[in-house]
Amino acid sequence: MSPSPVWQSLIAITLMVVIAYGSRVLGLLIMSRVPLGPRVRRFVDAMSSSVLIAVITPIIVHGDGGVRLAAVAAGTVAVVMRNPLVSIATGMLCAAGWRWWVG
Amino acid sequence: MKIKENPTRLDIAGTWRGIRMMLPLAVFTIAFGLAFGVAAVHQGLAGWEAMLMSLFVFAAPSQFAALEMWHSPLPLLALAAVTLAIHTRHMLMSAALYPWLKALPQRQQFAMVILLTDSNWAMALGEYQRGERNLGILLGGGIALWGAWVIGTAVGLAFGGGITEPERFGLDVIMLCFLLMIVVGGNTRAAMALPWLAAAASALMAYWWLPPYLHVMVGAITGGVVAVLLPGRWLRESAS
Repeated sequence: MSPSPVWQSLIAITLMVVIAYGSRVLGLLIMSRVPLGPRVRRFVDAMSSSVLIAVITPIIVHGDGGVRLAAVAAGTVAVVMRNPLVSIATGMLCAAGWRWWVG
Repeated sequence: MKIKENPTRLDIAGTWRGIRMMLPLAVFTIAFGLAFGVAAVHQGLAGWEAMLMSLFVFAAPSQFAALEMWHSPLPLLALAAVTLAIHTRHMLMSAALYPWLKALPQRQQFAMVILLTDSNWAMALGEYQRGERNLGILLGGGIALWGAWVIGTAVGLAFGGGITEPERFGLDVIMLCFLLMIVVGGNTRAAMALPWLAAAASALMAYWWLPPYLHVMVGAITGGVVAVLLPGRWLRESAS
């Protein structure tokens, strides 16, 4: 028997809290014993951005035209202007516009 | 000539300074919190679930990624793995602060990183390199961001539910745009093109052919492995 939805949510959020705080503490613990090598650094660095790439790729591939246009526009603005709010606003406008005109 | 280094300190005045320095960015954080609140409502999260996350998890990328996986029954293992992969970055960031924090007793060291996020870390480390030794900068910055994030979430939850047909207003792409912005808006380097391509391709294949949610882990690990296998000089600038 699986636990009720409320308990599931509480467990899930607790898991997230423990991991989120644990990783912040772990860095200190590791440094107080062994310094991190460059290869480990590189792996961790690439992994933490790759996880976001992995989350968004299927959303874009399986999304409608509005989603794809929003992704391209928001990504371009993020790279060129480096302004997060403008980037998100552009994405939303593109998605809304696409659905307004194209349907 | 060697300038005498100030000892590590932590006081109210420094914390206030940290809060004030972070205020301009906190305005943005309110907007992101708002976006999270609205996205959470439309993803079907209860208000208390979203609020608990913002209060205690306090990490926008993992919270947005969690929204994507918030279906009943909750995929706990996948959720934990994804959170872990996103937060390995914080491990490196707190490690970078160790030289500054090591003067404190261990319990205080651990307390100082509770509110550690990308923004106050970057600000505090910049100040540290300019000779600042007051840890209040880190703590105050964290307090300002945390407050803004919680306020924003509450406002988004309160008003997001009033909108029907969120797609018409492009509200369904908030999460996507936010995550995209975190990835490419941070420190885009040409050297990351290969790891990211590998992550995207492997994630897509895993999405089609493997059980649900494994694609996130597959993509994350592939990206990390490819980055390690690349010639070292390609990624030299990232060694910081």
